[in-house]
Amino acid sequence: MAIIDVKSFSKSFDGRPVHKNVTFSVQKGECLGLVGGSGIGKSVILRSLIGLEKGDSGEIWIEGEEISKLKERQLTPIRKKVAYVFQNGALFDSMTVYENLAYPLREHEKLEESEIRQRVKDQLDEFGLGDALKKLPAELSGGMQKRVGLARAMMIRPRVILYDEPTAGLDPYNTLKIREIVLALKKKGVTSVFVTHDMPTAVAVCDRFCLLADGRVADEARVEELATRQDSLLNQFIEGTAGG
Amino acid sequence: MKASHAAFLRHFGGSTILFRQVISELFRPPLYFKLVVEQLYQVGVMSLPLVMVTAGSTGMVMALQFGLGLEKFGGKLYVPKIVSISILREMGPVFTCLMLAARVGAGMASEIGSMVVTQQIDAIRALGTSPIKKIVIPRVLACIIGIPILSVVANFIGIGGALLVCVNDLGVDPVFFVQKVLTTLYLPDFLSGFMKTPVFAGVIAVTACYFGLTVKGGTKGVGNATTMAVVVSSISILVGDYFLTKFYWVIEQWL
Repeated sequence: MAIIDVKSFSKSFDGRPVHKNVTFSVQKGECLGLVGGSGIGKSVILRSLIGLEKGDSGEIWIEGEEISKLKERQLTPIRKKVAYVFQNGALFDSMTVYENLAYPLREHEKLEESEIRQRVKDQLDEFGLGDALKKLPAELSGGMQKRVGLARAMMIRPRVILYDEPTAGLDPYNTLKIREIVLALKKKGVTSVFVTHDMPTAVAVCDRFCLLADGRVADEARVEELATRQDSLLNQFIEGTAGG
Repeated sequence: MKASHAAFLRHFGGSTILFRQVISELFRPPLYFKLVVEQLYQVGVMSLPLVMVTAGSTGMVMALQFGLGLEKFGGKLYVPKIVSISILREMGPVFTCLMLAARVGAGMASEIGSMVVTQQIDAIRALGTSPIKKIVIPRVLACIIGIPILSVVANFIGIGGALLVCVNDLGVDPVFFVQKVLTTLYLPDFLSGFMKTPVFAGVIAVTACYFGLTVKGGTKGVGNATTMAVVVSSISILVGDYFLTKFYWVIEQWL
């Protein structure tokens, strides 16, 4: 069953078309890698999947509900189910790590402060961030900020996670950490869409790839098929012989 | 249509839409009371020194100028009357709002603009909450509550400053000054100035939030938004002051 279904999605900025006819779907528990050249509009699609961006035409279905026409207030239930992991973490810089992680719980779950504290502590321990509880985002490294962003997105246990370049600009150690977290979440059955330029990580975590080019899905393949499609656009993009 | 006209219409329309969103979400729970109190502290308590200095200086300078000017015609004794009416009706509320348009408006626009640039506003939305409720409404309410109170403080400090100058530089008897002020001022004098401040407060907060939320182009955009927020709200206060003065004047005549 498709959890995410994007049908004939198009979007333009200042009259310049970015997406003309994008169609793809993501099955339950699947991790889809959305790849393509820089500026092709991968993040635009990702943002549209949670209603942060509105398309010009087309449909976006999340768990059987068409969301592209919904108003901001009507999107709240969708945003409880679908979490977005921002490229730079997008942590609230005036709040401590604890406050950042407690934010979604305070907004959406009626819990005692002691329960919130326990949930936040457990989450930070799971993400290897136990020492960061009282720190402000500015006191964390880039890798830690991304992990805190990921931990915050997971606080209300979403069914879908949208990753916007979660390993961009990270050293190998932090990249590996993020990769382990994504794989662990995948094992728990979380459906995800993974936008990245980090191909080794993408190949390690994704089940299937969609290559975006010329405002549409130019190629599509499962990871295990890549070896048998040496001349495909996807292979050329992954190997760096085509720009996407 | 000229680009500047289009920009004016875009800003005016955008601020109006934001104001309408504030009204429509204000009466829908939850209301983040703690955030309103935090903003009230920022707007009210933290602005107090600036307001006190501005009001005190205004009152003192006005008393000195009127005193020196009217002395030539033997009208020095009218200074308490003229200065207190001017402060209550115009100088206190308008100068307070202009100073706060700069201090509070700039602060709000740059803070919100930075949140836009660092995707924190997107994060608020992505986490299923509303930036209007979390960011805009607390600031608008804090301004509408805090700025009128500050203008009352400014009135007292301004008249106090005038009293100091009258007593020390113009040789006016302090009891005479207080007597004149109390017998001159009526409730309509106070209200015609005071009633402008919630309107100006709303203009300051909504304008600052609008320019903050519509930041484009990174740190340079934040700078531009901050400048625009201060310029637009200051001009709105100065232009709006004439119409509000006339409006309250008509009401006073009517009553």
